[in-house]
Order: sequence, then C-alpha cells, then structure tokens
Amino acid sequence: MRKLVFVFISVLLFFSGTALFAEGKADTSDKTVLTYVYWGSPAEDKAIKNALSAFEGAHPGITVEPMYLPGDLDGSTYNAKMKALAASGKLPDVGYFRPEEFGNYAEKDFFLKLDDLIARDNMDKTYIPQTWLKIEGNTYGAYTAAECQVMWYNKDVLKEAGVPLPPTDYTKAWTWDQFVDYLKMITIDTNGKHPGESGFDSGNVARYGVSYDLWSAMYYPSVWSNGGGIISEDGKSVLLDKPETIEAFQNISDLMNVYNVMPLMSGGTNISPSIMMANKQLGFWVTGQWTLLELGAMKNLNLGVAALPIMKKPAQIYLSGVNVVFNSSKNPEEAWELQKWMMNPEKTLDLYTSGLWMPTKESFYSSEADLAKWLDNDVHPEGYREAVVNSMKISVNEPIKIRNINQIWGDYLNAAVESIWIGKSSAKDALTEAAEKIRKSGLLQGTY
Amino acid sequence: MSFKKRGMNDRRQNLWGWILISPLVMGLTLWVVFPMGLSIFTSMTRWDMISKPEFVGFQNYIEIFTKDELFLKSIRNTVYFTLLSVPMQMLVALMGALLLNSSINGKGVFRTIFYLPSLIPIVVSSIMWLWMYNHQYGLINFFLNNLGLDKVKWIDSTEMVIPSLSIMNIWNIGNVIVIFLAGLQGIPDDLMEAVEIDGGNSWHKFHFVILPLLSPIILYNMIVSLIKCLQLFVEPYIMTNGGPVNSSLSFVLHIYNNAFKYGKMGMANAMAWVLFILTMFISLIIFKTSDQWTYYEGDKK
Repeated sequence: MRKLVFVFISVLLFFSGTALFAEGKADTSDKTVLTYVYWGSPAEDKAIKNALSAFEGAHPGITVEPMYLPGDLDGSTYNAKMKALAASGKLPDVGYFRPEEFGNYAEKDFFLKLDDLIARDNMDKTYIPQTWLKIEGNTYGAYTAAECQVMWYNKDVLKEAGVPLPPTDYTKAWTWDQFVDYLKMITIDTNGKHPGESGFDSGNVARYGVSYDLWSAMYYPSVWSNGGGIISEDGKSVLLDKPETIEAFQNISDLMNVYNVMPLMSGGTNISPSIMMANKQLGFWVTGQWTLLELGAMKNLNLGVAALPIMKKPAQIYLSGVNVVFNSSKNPEEAWELQKWMMNPEKTLDLYTSGLWMPTKESFYSSEADLAKWLDNDVHPEGYREAVVNSMKISVNEPIKIRNINQIWGDYLNAAVESIWIGKSSAKDALTEAAEKIRKSGLLQGTY
Repeated sequence: MSFKKRGMNDRRQNLWGWILISPLVMGLTLWVVFPMGLSIFTSMTRWDMISKPEFVGFQNYIEIFTKDELFLKSIRNTVYFTLLSVPMQMLVALMGALLLNSSINGKGVFRTIFYLPSLIPIVVSSIMWLWMYNHQYGLINFFLNNLGLDKVKWIDSTEMVIPSLSIMNIWNIGNVIVIFLAGLQGIPDDLMEAVEIDGGNSWHKFHFVILPLLSPIILYNMIVSLIKCLQLFVEPYIMTNGGPVNSSLSFVLHIYNNAFKYGKMGMANAMAWVLFILTMFISLIIFKTSDQWTYYEGDKK
C-alpha cells in the first residue's frame, strides 16, 4: 500500500518536474543554428525564406531557422511577441525589429553594439548614411531597407476617365487642387455620374479616384509637404495644432467626406486597394512602396507610378523595419554575417527586383550598372526612378526615437485622426483637443 | 472496530483523498493561485517586461482613477455592451430553446444549426462579420440597399459600433441554448398536463410552469453571460481595434494595450484587478437579488 502511494507520488513529481524544468531540445549537432525573426505578407515571407536558404547554401556550417510572425499593420502583435520572448529569455539571434520600440530596447542593452563590426568590415562607407540607427552615439541596428511612400495608379482607368498621365519628377508633381480635380473625373457612381453633378449617389460609387493608406507613417509626407509636423524632433513639443498640420489632415479627410473620391474607412479594413485597382474600381493608391511586390505580380494590371501630389513643397518619408542582432545570441559573429547577407543586394537581389525593398547600399543609387540590376525589369514601372528612387534625396526619417510615441499614437492621436476620417469632427477641433491632451498627459519625455 | 483503528482508517482515507486530488491541487496552485499572487505583486510595480520591476505601492491604482483618460470610457463601453447583450442573449436563447424543445420534425437538424456558430473560432467569425458589416460592400448593407433602405455605417460610426458587436454576439449563444434545453427537458410532464386539464393554453404553461422552474437556469446563464460580456476583447481587437474614436475600446482591450503596446505591465495588472472586483460586485448584486425571482423546488417562501 505504502509502496503504491510512494510510486504514485514519485510519478507525479517526475511529470510535474519535467514539465517545469523542460528546456528547449538540446542541440546535439555541431552545426550553428541561428533564428531569424521577421514579419510581412505571405509573399515577403517566401522571399525572405529564399534569401535564408541561399545563405545556408553559402555557409554550410550554419542552419537558419525562420521565425515568421505575420504582423498587423501597427506592429502591436509583433511587439507583444517580442516582449514575451524578451521576458522569458527566448529571444532569437537576429532579424527584424519594430522601429518604434527600437530605442526602448537599445537603451536597455538588448542589441549587439555594431560600431566595431561596421568599422572592421568597412560597412560605413558603402551604405547610405541613413541606414545606421544610433542611440547615444552607438550603432545598435540598421534599417532593413530604404522604404517610402508612393502613388501607384492604373493607367487604363486614367485613360478611360480622360485624365492625363501624372508627372513622375518628384519636384514637378501635381498640386493638391489639380489632383482633386482629376480625382473627381475618375470617380463615378453606378449611374455614371461624377461627384458634384446633381444626382450623384455617394453611397453607390463604382469607381473611386484614390485610396490613401491611413496609418501613422503614411500621414507624415502629406503633413510635411504642407509644412506641418506632429511631434517635434526633440520629442518635447506638439506641432499637431499648427495650421499647416490641420490643413493637411483636413485635405485628406475632404477626399472622403466632401468630394467622395476616396472610399470611407471601414473598421480599418476595406477591400484591399490593390484588388480594387486591378478591378478598375480605383484610380490612384497612395501607400508604401513595398506593395509593388504584390502589384508587380499582377499580370493584367497596367501599373503606373506618379510623383506624390504637392501641397506646398515636395516631401518624402524614409521608413523601414530595423534589423538587429540580439545581445543574447550565442553566435554573434554568425548572426552578424547573416545580417550583412540580408543587407547586401548582391546576395538577395530578388528582394529588390521583386519590388519589396529598395537597397541601403550606396552604389545601388549612384552607379548606373548597379541601378540597372534592380530597376530594369517588368516589375518596376516606367518613371519609378524619378518618382521614387530620386525622391529619397529629400526623405526625412520616420521619427522613431521619440519616447512613448506608441502610447501617444495609441491613446490620443489615432482617436483624434479617426474622428476626422469618419467626418465626426473637423481637423481643427480634433487636433487642437488632442494636442492639449498630449501636453497634459506627461508623455512628452524627449527622445532616446 | 476499535476507536483507534477507525482513526487509522480515517487517516488513510484522508491520505488517499489528498493523493487523488493532488493533480488538481498542483494544477490550481501552479496555474491559478501562483499567477494571481504574482499579478497582485506586479500591479504594485512599474514594469515594462524588459527591465527590472520598480515597486510603487498603490500608485497604479490611484493613477487609474485620476490620470487614465480612457479608463472611464472603456468601462462605459463595456457596461453598455453588457447591458445590451445579456438581456438580448437571454431572450433569444430562451426562444430558441423553446422552439427546439417543441415537437417539430427535424429537431436534430435545427439543434445542430443553432449550435454550429459556437464551434467557429471567434477570430474567424469576427473576420466574417467584419465583411458582413462593411459599409460599402458588406452583405447586410447589400440587402438593405436592395430593399431600398439606406446603408448603415455598422462598425464605422461611434453610435452603432457597440450595438453591432452586441448583435454579432447573439450569434454565439449555442451554449446558452443547450443549457436552457437541458432545463426544459427536466420539467415534469405531469405539471404541463395539469395546466392543460385546468384549461390553460401555451402562454399559461410558459408563465406558470416553465418560467418559474427555469429561473435558476436563467440565473446561471445570466451570470455566465455577464462575465463573458464584461471580458469583451476579441471582437473589438480584431474588428475595430477599439475604434472609431475609442468608441469600442473595451476594458480588456484597454488592459491589453497598456500591457503589450505601451509596456505598462504593472498598470495593466492593476486594471485587471479592478475588473475582477467590478465583476464580482455585479455578480454578487445579481445573486443577492435573485431570491426575488428564482424558484427552487422544495423552497418554502
């Protein structure tokens, strides 16, 4: 009897013990295993996996395990996952990191300091200066790619609507008023009437002029183009209630609520503009340049690219995910090798020719031979170089080093901006109120 | 049997009792009691999950009520949702159960149909409803439009978003119906016959027999439903992200944002305890007042 009890308890303890202290499977092979973490669309997932396989092929001693976290637009799922991994000490070796959380983690020493490695491998001369992300003078990460805002359009739709093809030189783009006039020409309801004509039915629009992606980074170019700002660069003051900022937001809101040339926001989800554009239900789409990966693969879409419309002056944003090597990596040398591989367009050319990324390597902007490597193909439409690549000259980095920027957006800005988009309040009222609240919130604590 | 021996026996029986419930006790300790204790501790710290927690006492609790702008709004949204959903769910589920309890042909098929939505993962049904509610291309507005009515901005207007989520929630009442059905099956036929003999109609049956005998079940379903509604999270998280303009920001979503978006784990834990106390308080009120309207067989009033 007593024996039975003893056995029973031992078995129980054994099981609970193994459950508690079970660590990851022991690595018995002599191969180095690296985990590469990233987000992105299914197409991006495929492209990254190919690049990682190529790396394995070139480095027989190293196995790379992809950790793909299909992200949401604002990256909160990715951030949550990273926090959980960090708290449980299971961070991967190398990979993507959300830019708005970069400073926070860099400050707390989660990333490998790259300065010595960059100097050793002569990386600082060969990459464009915006690539390296520094916190207090030390480099902790590199932008994954050069990415920005673009305006795509369906050439067939513009021809049908009798709209002239837009300029591609980013300094000579359409003015905002011209742009709105052309959008009215493209937009028609199911009875073939345009906005402004009597009897136009805004509830049943067959074809819209434009769709703007509505999330934080996509607002900056319009705001900057109008001479406004959101939070000052030092993270200490709010520029949200400047008249220029208000006007920029009101302009985009009017596209939806006054001129009816843009689909209304629907729960953050609408029919994907890429599908609408391919179906000729949409003329222009203002979005991130990475969408070319999807659009370039659509064979029946007659894709064009236009310079972004100018409110007061040309503007462009430089944004991207960040690539980091985690400090907890047991193989920092190999992890750095992998990061260099992913940063080198020569090795991962598919990621650039397919339209997903623009390179960070300097020669791919300055040398004609290198430019041809990634731009001369069926994916990149005519004029891409003038409208997009050249506009990077005036690009301003996305302000990611402002402390609490996540909460400022999450608790105040998103709500204010949404109330403008759904036509509930004017840009002036919403932004003035939000600016006051942010000033009072105590969240403005400078930068990392 | 001597006194002493019985003591031995008792002790042995106790030991066996403990041995047999030990897995459950371990599980509860490990996965419930310990995390709750940890959560109380965490709620008194400032902790972003990636650096050392800093003890701040009741600071978080004070800030929830003094500094947090969205606390009241999120509580209001959640309570509004609950007040709409619980009565609606009880009513529809009771009607559904009565229908499924009647002697119609193909009862089994209907029971399956009513229960099916509960088998669909909530994330999937959220995305499905998102499309149905779409202002421009949604199924619901398509029908309204064909009937010559105006399109409704279901989840795109601050006024309609919570009612929309409530309507959507009726979809998941399979479990409630099953419990009601079980209760209905337990109502003795002789009582029904007695009503018939006395010349009563269906309404009398419902009013004088079914409702009183079902009242404990209604109470149970109400409490469970209420707790579920107060924990509204997945639908706003997937469908609206708390928008538009925070009008569908549920309290749990607010907790989630603080924990995982803004790295305020301490604050989020404090909020979770506030929710716990609130839920307990409301449940208690319902329990205490339930004597007025529930009837247990064998009760003496």
